[in-house]
Amino acid sequence: MRATGGPEIAVGDVLLSVEAVSLSFGGVKAVSDVSFDIRKGEIRAIIGPNGAGKTSMLNIINGFYHPQHGRITFKGATRSRMRPHEAARGGIARTFQNVALFKGMTALDNIMAGRTLKMHANLFWQMLRVGPALKEEIEHRHRVEEIIDFLKIQDIRRVPVARLPYGLQKRVELGRALAMEPELLLLDEPMAGMNLEEKEDMSRFVLDVNDHFGTTVALIEHDMGVVMDLSDRVVVLDHGIKIADGTPDEVKNNQAVIDAYLGVAH
Amino acid sequence: MLYRETGQFKTSYAADMAIFPIRQDRIALYVLLAIAFIGIPVLDALQVWPFAGEYLLRAILIPFLILSLAAVGLNILTGYCGQLSLGSGAFMAVGAYSAYKFGTGVHLPLGLFDIAIPALPVLPSILLGGVMAAAVGILFGVPSLRIKGLYLAVATLAAQFFFDWVFIRVQWFTNYTSSGSVTAPELNFFGLIVNKPVERYLLCLIFVTVVALLAKNLVRGNIGRQWMAIRDMDIAAELMGIRPLYAKLTAFAISSFIMGIAGALWAFVYLGSWEPLAFNIDRSFQILFMVIIGGLGSILGSFLGAAFILVLPIMLDQVPHALGIPISVETVSLLVFVVTGALICWLLIVEPHGFARLWLTGKEKLRLWPYPY
Ligand SMILES: Nc1ncnc2c1ncn2[C@@H]1O[C@H](COP(=O)(O)OP(=O)(O)O)[C@@H](O)[C@H]1O
Ligand SMILES: [Mg+2]
Repeated sequence: MRATGGPEIAVGDVLLSVEAVSLSFGGVKAVSDVSFDIRKGEIRAIIGPNGAGKTSMLNIINGFYHPQHGRITFKGATRSRMRPHEAARGGIARTFQNVALFKGMTALDNIMAGRTLKMHANLFWQMLRVGPALKEEIEHRHRVEEIIDFLKIQDIRRVPVARLPYGLQKRVELGRALAMEPELLLLDEPMAGMNLEEKEDMSRFVLDVNDHFGTTVALIEHDMGVVMDLSDRVVVLDHGIKIADGTPDEVKNNQAVIDAYLGVAH
Repeated sequence: MLYRETGQFKTSYAADMAIFPIRQDRIALYVLLAIAFIGIPVLDALQVWPFAGEYLLRAILIPFLILSLAAVGLNILTGYCGQLSLGSGAFMAVGAYSAYKFGTGVHLPLGLFDIAIPALPVLPSILLGGVMAAAVGILFGVPSLRIKGLYLAVATLAAQFFFDWVFIRVQWFTNYTSSGSVTAPELNFFGLIVNKPVERYLLCLIFVTVVALLAKNLVRGNIGRQWMAIRDMDIAAELMGIRPLYAKLTAFAISSFIMGIAGALWAFVYLGSWEPLAFNIDRSFQILFMVIIGGLGSILGSFLGAAFILVLPIMLDQVPHALGIPISVETVSLLVFVVTGALICWLLIVEPHGFARLWLTGKEKLRLWPYPY
C-alpha cells in the first residue's frame, strides 16, 4: 500500500525527520529541541515515561499541534509546521491513545470513512447513487473488506463501534487508519489496556502491515517486551527531551534511559 | 420464521449495500408505497371512512408529509452532521417567500440596473425557493466552523428572528399587500391544476418520496460518512483528510434546500395563503422535537417523529369528544400541551435515541425470535 503524491522514497532512506522541534503550552514545555528521523520501511518506537511528550510528538508530525520552533521534513519537503490535511494527503495516518472512533457509526462505516480522500464522485452522483458514485462505493468496499479480513473483524462489520469492547475498538481504529493506505502509520499506544492475547494479535498486525505492505510505522508503546520485539530503532523521550536514540539493544543498556525509567532525580 | 435474513445470501457488495438488504423490509416498503400512492387515493375516491369529508387528507396527511420533509432536512444537519439548529422555521420561510416571489415575478429596481424576472411556473418556483434557502443556509452555516453546540444554536436562532423580522417589515417580499398576508399562485404543473385535497396530497407525496430517497442515498454514501465523522469526532475526521468546511457547509446547504422546499410546499400546498407567523420559532421547535423524538441520524425516524408530534395532539384533542366528556376547548388545548410534553420526556428517558432505535431494537428481537439472544 502506498499513498499518492510526493517523490518516491527508497526503503531505508529518510521518510520523515524533525529537527530541533520545540512545543510548549503556556509554561509547560511538552517537547524541547528534539530531533530524530524515521526511515522508510522501518518500525520506529517512541518510548518514555508518562508526560514525556510522545503523544505531542505525533501531534506535531501530523499537524494537529504546531511547534514554536524547529522544522519538519516529510518526503523531501521541509516546513516549520504540518497541516492536518497535508499530512493526510501526504499519506500519514494515525490511531489515538484514547480511541477516537466515530462512535455512532458501524465498524464498516468507520473504515469506509478512511477512504474519503480516495473517493471523488460528486454530490450529484452520490445523491442518485448510480454511475461513478456506485462504482466507487463498490470498489472501495472491496478494499475495505480486505482490511476487515486481514484484521479478522468480519462478524462485527455492522455493529456500531460504541458497543464493541475496547480491544476490538482499537482494532477497528487500526483498520480505519489502514484504509487510508498510509505511507507512514502513527500508532499511539495501540496495545494499552489489552490482555496478553490481544497484545499478541495487535503485534502480529503491526508486523504484517510493515512486512506485507511496506508501511513505515511510528509506534508509541509502554510494554518494553513489545518494543524490543517489534521495533528497528527506538527514540527515548523524557520530560520533552530526547535522551537516547538507537537500536533496542543500545537503548536498553543506556544509562540515561535506565535512570529515567527508575526515576532518578535530574 | 417470518422475519429472517438466513438463506438470503448476498452475492455482491452491490446487493449488500441496498437500502433494505433484507427482503421482508423491502416488501414492507413496497406495500407502504402502494398504500400511499394507490390505496389512499382509491379510498378517498370511494369516500370510505375515515376518508369521508377530506379531513384526514387535509388536516393530517398533507401536513404530516410536509413536516416529515422538513424533519428529514433538519435531521441531515443536526442528526447526521451534529450541528444543532433552531432556525428551521427561518429556512422554511426563505423557501416559501422566495418561491412566492419567483412565482409572482421578481422585480428589483436597483438604480443602475434593474433585475426583472417574469413570473415563473410553480415547479421551478418551488425548486428555486429551495435554492435560495440553501444559499441562506450556507451563509448562516459559516459560523459553525468556529462555534459549536449551544453557541451555534444561538447563531441559528438569530437567523430565525432576523427572517421573522424581514418578512414582516420588508414589504417587497409580500408584494406590498396591506395585510402582510400573501396568497400562493395557482398550482399549475405542466397544465395539470392541483387543487383537490387528494391531488395536493399526491403532489406532496411525490416530493417527499423523491427527496427522502435522495437523502437516504446521500447519508449512506461518502458525504454521509463525512457528516457523521464530523459529528462524532471532528478532530479525528480532520486528521483523516475530511474537510470540516466542506462537510458542514454541504450539510447546511442540503438541509436548508430540503427545508426550503418543505416551506414552499407548506405555504403553497397546505396553507394557500399565509403570514410570516406560519414560520416562527414555534415551527423551529416543532421540527426539532420531531427529529429528536423520531431519532437523530435516521431518515425513517424523521417520519416517525413527525407522525408522533403531529398526530398525538390531534388524537388527544379528539378523545374527550369521542368519550363525550364535556370539557372546554381551552382545557383540551392545555391538556394536549401537558400530555405531549410528558410523553416526550417519558420517551426520551426510556429510549434517548428515539423511535428509530426502538424500531431497530424491535427488528433485532424479531430476527432472533423466539430466542432472547
Ligand atoms: N493540549 C495540551 N494542553 C496543555 N498541555 C498539554 C497538552 N497536550 C499535552 N500537554 C502537556 O504536554 C506534556 C506531554 O504530554 P504528552 O505528549 O501527552 O505525553 P505522553 O504522551 O508522553 O504521555 C504533558 O505535561 C502534558 O500535560
Ligand atoms: Mg501519550
